[in-house]
Amino acid sequence: MRTVKFMLFSGILLIAVSCTKQVDYSQAITDGHYISEAQDRITEVIIHDIFSPPVATRIYTYASLAAYEVAASVDPEYASLLGQLNGSEKVIFTPSEKVYPPLASLAAYYYVGTGLIFSEDMMNEHRDATFAALREKGIPEEVFEASIAFGKEVGDVIKAYSSKDNYHQSRSFPKFTVTGEEGTWQPTPPAYMEAIEPHWSKIRTFVLDSASQFKPLPPPPFSTEKGSEFYNVALEVYNADINATQAQKDIALFWDCNPYKMNVKGHVMFAEKKITPGGHWMSIAAIASKAAGRDWKGTAEVFAMTGISLNEAFISCWDEKYRSNLIRPETYINQHIDEQWVPLLQTPPFPEHTSGHSVASAASAYTLAQLFGDEFHIVDSSEVAYGLPVREYESFSQAAEEAALSRFYGGIHYRPAIEYGITEGRDLAKFIWTKVDTKSKSVASN
Amino acid sequence: MKKFSAAISLGLALLLSCDTKEENKLFELMPSESTGIDFENSLSSSDSLNILEYLYFYNGGGVAAGDINNDGLVDLYFAANQTTNRLYLNKGNFQFEDITESAGVATDGSWSTGVTMADINGDGMLDIYISQIGNYKGLSGKNRLFINQGNNEFIDQAEEYGVDFVGFSTQAAFLDYDRDGDLDLYLLNHSVKSPEVFTSADQRQNPDALGDKLFKNLLSEGNIGFEDVTEESGIYSSILGFGLGIAVADINADGWPDIYISNDFTENDYLYLNQQDGTFSESLEKSIASTSRYSMGNDLADITGDGLPEIITTDMLPLAPEIWMKSVGEDKAEVYQIKKQFGYADQYVRNHLQLNQGKKGFSDIALFAGVHASDWSWSPLIFDMDNDGLTDIHITNGIEKRPNDLDFIQYSQQADPNLNPEQYLQTQIEMLPTVKLPNLSFQNMGNLKFENQAASWGLDQPSYSNGSTYADLDNDGDLDLIINNLNQPAFIYQNHSEKSGNSFLRVNLSANGYNPGALGTKVGIHSSEKSLFQHYSGSKGFMSATSSTLVFGLGKAQTIDSVSVTWPDGLEEIFPSFKINQTIHLTQGEGKPIKKSEKLETPSSFPQIPWEHREKNMLDETKREYLIPRSFASMGPALAVGDVNGDGLDDIFVGGAQEQSGALFLQLPDGNFEEKENEIFDRLAKAEDVVAAFADFNGDRNLDLYVGSGGNEHSTGSLFNSDRVFFGNGKGDFQFSPMSLPMLGENTSALALVDIDADGDVDVFVGSSVVSGDYGASPKSMLFINEGDGKFLDKTEEWFGPNTDFGMVNSAVWSDLDKDGKSELVLTGDWQGIRIFENKRGKEYTEKTAVGLEHSSGWIQSLEIADVNGDGRLDILTGNLGLNTKLKASQDKPVWLYHGDFDQNGQADPILFHYMEERLVPFATRDDLIKQIPGIKRKHTTYQEFSTIAEPTDLFGDEVLEQVAKYPVYEFRSGVYFQQADGSFVFEPFPDSAQLSPILSVCWDEESGTVLLGGNFSDFRVDLGKNLASAFSSLRWREGSWENQELQSTISPKSEIRNIKKITVNHRAFGVAGSNSGPLYWIKLD
Repeated sequence: MRTVKFMLFSGILLIAVSCTKQVDYSQAITDGHYISEAQDRITEVIIHDIFSPPVATRIYTYASLAAYEVAASVDPEYASLLGQLNGSEKVIFTPSEKVYPPLASLAAYYYVGTGLIFSEDMMNEHRDATFAALREKGIPEEVFEASIAFGKEVGDVIKAYSSKDNYHQSRSFPKFTVTGEEGTWQPTPPAYMEAIEPHWSKIRTFVLDSASQFKPLPPPPFSTEKGSEFYNVALEVYNADINATQAQKDIALFWDCNPYKMNVKGHVMFAEKKITPGGHWMSIAAIASKAAGRDWKGTAEVFAMTGISLNEAFISCWDEKYRSNLIRPETYINQHIDEQWVPLLQTPPFPEHTSGHSVASAASAYTLAQLFGDEFHIVDSSEVAYGLPVREYESFSQAAEEAALSRFYGGIHYRPAIEYGITEGRDLAKFIWTKVDTKSKSVASN
Repeated sequence: MKKFSAAISLGLALLLSCDTKEENKLFELMPSESTGIDFENSLSSSDSLNILEYLYFYNGGGVAAGDINNDGLVDLYFAANQTTNRLYLNKGNFQFEDITESAGVATDGSWSTGVTMADINGDGMLDIYISQIGNYKGLSGKNRLFINQGNNEFIDQAEEYGVDFVGFSTQAAFLDYDRDGDLDLYLLNHSVKSPEVFTSADQRQNPDALGDKLFKNLLSEGNIGFEDVTEESGIYSSILGFGLGIAVADINADGWPDIYISNDFTENDYLYLNQQDGTFSESLEKSIASTSRYSMGNDLADITGDGLPEIITTDMLPLAPEIWMKSVGEDKAEVYQIKKQFGYADQYVRNHLQLNQGKKGFSDIALFAGVHASDWSWSPLIFDMDNDGLTDIHITNGIEKRPNDLDFIQYSQQADPNLNPEQYLQTQIEMLPTVKLPNLSFQNMGNLKFENQAASWGLDQPSYSNGSTYADLDNDGDLDLIINNLNQPAFIYQNHSEKSGNSFLRVNLSANGYNPGALGTKVGIHSSEKSLFQHYSGSKGFMSATSSTLVFGLGKAQTIDSVSVTWPDGLEEIFPSFKINQTIHLTQGEGKPIKKSEKLETPSSFPQIPWEHREKNMLDETKREYLIPRSFASMGPALAVGDVNGDGLDDIFVGGAQEQSGALFLQLPDGNFEEKENEIFDRLAKAEDVVAAFADFNGDRNLDLYVGSGGNEHSTGSLFNSDRVFFGNGKGDFQFSPMSLPMLGENTSALALVDIDADGDVDVFVGSSVVSGDYGASPKSMLFINEGDGKFLDKTEEWFGPNTDFGMVNSAVWSDLDKDGKSELVLTGDWQGIRIFENKRGKEYTEKTAVGLEHSSGWIQSLEIADVNGDGRLDILTGNLGLNTKLKASQDKPVWLYHGDFDQNGQADPILFHYMEERLVPFATRDDLIKQIPGIKRKHTTYQEFSTIAEPTDLFGDEVLEQVAKYPVYEFRSGVYFQQADGSFVFEPFPDSAQLSPILSVCWDEESGTVLLGGNFSDFRVDLGKNLASAFSSLRWREGSWENQELQSTISPKSEIRNIKKITVNHRAFGVAGSNSGPLYWIKLD
């Protein structure tokens, strides 16, 4: 399989080389190194600009999709997702001969990604440095221009597609109203932020028929009575927290993935920002692509499919969150068990059920297993930049299960939200792979 | 070192000689070389103790003034955090000697906060009480009581006296709360428990060992020492209290000392009223509508000259627009809501100046007075800085590390895997921004308005200043100013009022018993023109205390008629006239006793109707329209007066809120009212009734009823937004006439009745206030023409032409202003001026341009037409937003509404722009704007960039701004537009007392020539804040100006009056006032 790919690739390169008669720049971009670096930068900007987990995922997905569509336009082995994804139409791109496809793909990634974040300067600075380094490798200016133009051409199609997913409109949808009814979600200390993205279920799905297609089981019926099922699941969180082992605490902190933790000491407040759950899994996708030696096209495919899976996970999960509108353990435990209790992790600002990290982790792990096989040694260094250690896993599902359970150890989710969340994520990812085809499954076994 | 200071002195000398202007300023900063006061509160942050380890690390220390050796010169004691406190003996001529060591009052190695002086043991010598931080993170300390031994020596006897408290004390105040003749102690402490986690306000009932304390002095019982009486005294002593300010005065003029406590963070401030039985009753919410949120220091002092002390509390609202726009502001609406749910009172991040209105409670006038913002503030002192007879306000401010900087909060943190947790926090502290600002000196301009004179008075040296006090250090009859600074020498300012020609009177006091220093005495100086009051209470401002000599600035006054004294034991004496410009000594028992005349108020009898409006809002408008500046959900009740059963007696209809029936009350011959039940009112209870009118619509000579509904909940055209007509049968029965009205379904706000087509029946112009869900858009207002039988047709186009934009209408009336025999339609509302539509010919009504109304655009809620000045021409009375608000409008600097779909996402947003200094900036914060229009984040990626906005084009592109509608407001004052002979108008605003709250109802009583003004509105956005400063006032036009007219009424001060109508009950004239979420009130008119 590798041979086929290599030959095809060489063929394209040969043409390029013979046309320009200049330095052989064909090896300037081969693997997913550059797009992974671009993704790291997007992650930094997402953190800086403070995008919430669902919105962050949307950014990764459209940028990755643009990069992937360039790959699909030059390599018949890859099927375009346009036409397969909800609300998209098939587009036939015909890149000129001057286009250096991996550069166009990278340019498309930067172009779409930059359009979706706020701190454009941070992105542009990174892009310019990357492009300068690539120019050093001898890519002629006309090739450069043609590649960027083609990246933009594909990017514009993706941008147009993204503009119709209702995101823009949803900015002015009504803010969430706290009803104050028993058992419903209330803002939590210390920032008491309003519930974020209450209308995320109205964002267009890429693949799912509807946001509620994989509606999870509901949480246990609310009750404040001692001995009731609900009381018990809350008590379980409380006991788990106060009896947590160091190993469990390490797990909770490793997967915290809180893009906006507010530290408060008296009058001093400052936000401590980390990558989102989606960002963490996109990083695992990059780590796996590199470990598996995927080329730039394969990496784009991994990014696009992981992004789509995460995106559907957040829509499905957020749909349930605002359906069940469930009180967080912190609020319940403070009211009914221990007034002074503070969870190990800071409670994020949205209703409890189901656990977003559980749904997202299960969905992306399923997709990565489709692409690499489930058993895969992962050296997860995603959080090193945030002062956390490296953790290793033997399979994607192992990582996902740990990520899901981390929310329980962290004191921010009841167990049902985790268990039902895992099912929800896995089921929806399974569905995605029955509906969408990148025609790469045959090469995925590695 | 010596060389260095010599160099400095030389420099200063040069400076002084070069810049003679400085010398001529009111205050002169005295160099430490000449004063001998070299105190500096030097503070350094370390790994073990810093602002993250101790939340009040930068709160600094206080300063107390008092004559410790009875030589007639006021000495100074400064409190320090990491170095020793210092005592400076006044040697005269602004020269002091540091006697800390010899006096035995050093405090090396412990952290001091507040300091106050009082004669605790009644030996005629001032003792010193120091508040300290106890055992905490390496600090060890306890409160000290330095007992004066004479000979300038002190011994710490805190333990012996039982007041060696170990905890987190901020300041102590001495007062004789039980009037037994000795001085008791209120100890103000602060919690350190995570203030960011809200808990139920009920927790303030749970005493904590480290909470506030009340100690009773046992001296008069013959014992030495204090007894902790906290528990039985009624004061709160819980961990919710972050006490930062304390002051004592007789707030309710009952002769007993009361206490005001400012609390930082979520906890309310406390207003402790002395119950005269050894207990206090916390009464803040009963008489104060809102307070500072992060209340810091406070002061109680009379500004108005009525003998009742006003209250000032400080907070941290920045003054400079560029700082304001990048600093933490009000709580977001959702957080505000949560605090309310936890049971806390309304609090806003700004200074509050509470005007003491006696029985009417307090009115916060900080926004009117212009003292609402002074940046990160600590010590407010109310005193006459320039001896002009008007009390001014000095406020210290500054924090070395500024935590409310939004860029720091949101963007400072950078992950760095190479830092351990301690280093990480250290880096955060280092990143805290630093801004050094001058203190504020608010000069009283009269009329309760203040202007900052820091620069012109020579008080504008940048500093981080904390505690402050005033004292006449050189006995020249004016108050010098002493400020304790952080990491900078203390400021000693000499007051040069003596050069101004203003006169003064200095008063020293001697009282009976164990309180010879007369702490707690109130002195009034009376001249023919006015009275001035001061209360010697020691502790005030922030961590600081003033001395016993009271200095009154008298302005140009030449004589004093008398001096009244209320001694600490409650006895009152009056002393005869005194010469000005001298020091007098008043001794208890030497004056003429005043017998308190018990004022007997004859209770008036008012009509009674046991009906109460119950507002119920299902929808929070701010969730739907995040940037809407005000709600329309609380505009009721509707109110109509008329004789519905033909018995010659006025009856009343009141319209209910959502889910509340309207009700009809018939007047009985004895003046009582009886409800006339009507099932149809119950069935239509779902509608929110906001306006109603009686008239004979169907020509049967019985009064019919029109009820208009609003509420801004239901969308346009919704059934429960539809108005209703009921036909009366002349006996008090009403029948719903469902076919009477065409479909309108807007938020009705005004009914203007007229026979426009002169066909003998009543037609109605129906005004609408707001498009549900789209503040700023023009709703449909309509002209309904009566077919004669009480059925109305929409004839708006026929009479007003197609597409007439009536704008947002709050009030509309028909009146023949120009006396041409044809009524004009006069209307107005939010963001539009007073508009007049006149009939030129046939059915054609066109808008006319009236000279003098061009700049009438405001937020006028209520119009009334009357000949106010009796010149035979009709004038226009307006009830507007008033001046006690953050929004300031003028012709030069209007407030603007930009309304449109700024980001083309299908929803229009209302964005307010207002002038701050010379810049036209959005009123909403960057965070609020981003919530609606995220793209703004792309334009300004930091708060710093956002804070440089100078005009709307810095926020939106020209192509966006071209497409949005823009509406100015020039005039927020309520008043009257007097019609001139040529038909033009000249505006005469109501007096300031009527500008303190929004006026929602204007009612003219022709018989007495009085205008009744009903106000208060609590449904503004959180960042505009509730405005409950004046529920009711009445004015009479007399010889070219307005004068206040005191009318007897049942109106409760914090009530929100929506409608006032005149009514005759039992042959007497009354006004009846409908209040939102409240009862019907009565005003006596004859």
